[in-house]
Amino acid sequence: MAKHYAALANPLVFQHVSVSQSLSSLRIALASILFIVGWSLIGVPANATTTAYDEAAETEESSSPIDVMGKIADHDYIESPFGKVYLPRIFWVEGQLYTYANTKKALESGEFIDKEGTLYRADNTPVTIDMSITSHLVYVWLGFILALLISLWAASRYRRGIGRTSAPKGALHNIYEILYLFIRDDVIQGYIPKEKAPRYTPLLFSMFMAIAFMNLFGLLPWAATATADLTVTATLAFVTFVVTQASGTKTYWGHVFNFPGVPLLVKFILTPVEILGLFTKPLALCFRLFANMLSGKIMIISILGLIFIFTDLFGATVGVGSSVIWVALTSVLYILKVFVALLQAYIFTLLSAVFIGGALEEHHHEEHDHDHEDLTKMDTVQA
Amino acid sequence: MMMSLFLAGSSLLSFNTGFAIWILISLIVFLGIMYKFALPPIIKGIEERETSIQSSLDAAEKALRDAEKIAKDNEDVVREAERAAQKIRKEATKEVEEFRAERLEKAKEDAEKLIEDAKKSIDQEKQKALNELRKEVADLTIEATTRLLQKNVDSETNRKLIDETINDLSKN
Repeated sequence: MAKHYAALANPLVFQHVSVSQSLSSLRIALASILFIVGWSLIGVPANATTTAYDEAAETEESSSPIDVMGKIADHDYIESPFGKVYLPRIFWVEGQLYTYANTKKALESGEFIDKEGTLYRADNTPVTIDMSITSHLVYVWLGFILALLISLWAASRYRRGIGRTSAPKGALHNIYEILYLFIRDDVIQGYIPKEKAPRYTPLLFSMFMAIAFMNLFGLLPWAATATADLTVTATLAFVTFVVTQASGTKTYWGHVFNFPGVPLLVKFILTPVEILGLFTKPLALCFRLFANMLSGKIMIISILGLIFIFTDLFGATVGVGSSVIWVALTSVLYILKVFVALLQAYIFTLLSAVFIGGALEEHHHEEHDHDHEDLTKMDTVQA
Repeated sequence: MMMSLFLAGSSLLSFNTGFAIWILISLIVFLGIMYKFALPPIIKGIEERETSIQSSLDAAEKALRDAEKIAKDNEDVVREAERAAQKIRKEATKEVEEFRAERLEKAKEDAEKLIEDAKKSIDQEKQKALNELRKEVADLTIEATTRLLQKNVDSETNRKLIDETINDLSKN
């Protein structure tokens, strides 16, 4: 029976997942080692980590040479070469909406108070929904806007006939089309039945573009990686989840609630597992992207941070002298990160396509002979 | 130390509802614009190009196949024509040969006939000449004899006599 079950899963999918998982797990392991080493060296104060919207606490913790968490966490400002730009705060507290130009204005108004970095309404009620514009949100928007601008630019070219009646011209147009064709032909049509694929192409390609730009934005020195935020990846994975369940066929739901060809007792075990599987898939999607983007960010900050840690520990000479190594290592990591940024966007799109394709699968399990035939085919493939 | 790590983790793994709402709204707007304005011309444009390339390829292949067929047909026609020409030539040669043979035969026959005729006429002429000669000789002889004998001699009986003599002469 276990064999039966395994045979139904696409072996290709498993291969993809395991490759990306082993890659990301290696990176996460590496990152966590650096993270812990860095942490024990820095000794970040506890209050620096409790909130992202804490400018007061940040000025206090200038004793530590680098602030890894501060670089990773979401903020109420965006960093730019000309200094911090504070973003509007929007609070929804028990049915009432409060908007301020920035955190300082919110505190000055007297309607909100700061308690260990978290803002409360003056009457001590916690904020119900914090709709503030944050640095990560700005980079989500930038990712969307850049994806939109490039797509609209490409669309105008196609409308003019470039690429429609002739070959695409220019590097950007060519790259755009290569990406589009790759996503359409290899990712979407590879896993979603061909007659249904066109329905999902715009969604998955848009997701790919947006994620790729968000990932790539993280490479800019002042920018934040929006996809290194769990909220962002969870929302993106949520979209995949909704689309997957919405496009689920009878066969798909049949496999979830009433697995065919399995004795009743096994069904009692299998059905909860299958229901759990509905959620673990997008959850894995969300964590994979989040962890990969976060680990890259942490690695770069940690390695560059070693310059300052060494300066702190052994003096400026050692710090500056060793910087050659750390800068070289960071450059290599940057190249890797460019690759990973595109790879993770690709993996997210691929797995979304795989999940949707799985939900779209129509298979008639009532026919037992056919079923058996499939089983033997799978066995030969696996052998 | 462990505490700070834990706290760091919890802040990293926190889910911000307000932020998620923003992202969802932005995502819907983003996807809306992509669906409505950005992607349709791209998808349609590329599809159009692909189909046009495919149809051109198909047309080219069909043209090639047609051309090949035409070339093959032409070759067949040429071969057929050659075969026909050869046949005609062969027939013509044969006919000519036959005609020549026939003509030769006829010419031979004609020649033979001519020779025969000539021989015949020669014989006739000879006979005629002989007859005339004989007559002349007889006349001459009669005349001569007449002159010699002058009278008394019955020319009829003498002629007979002389004829017999001449016949005897010609037989010897």
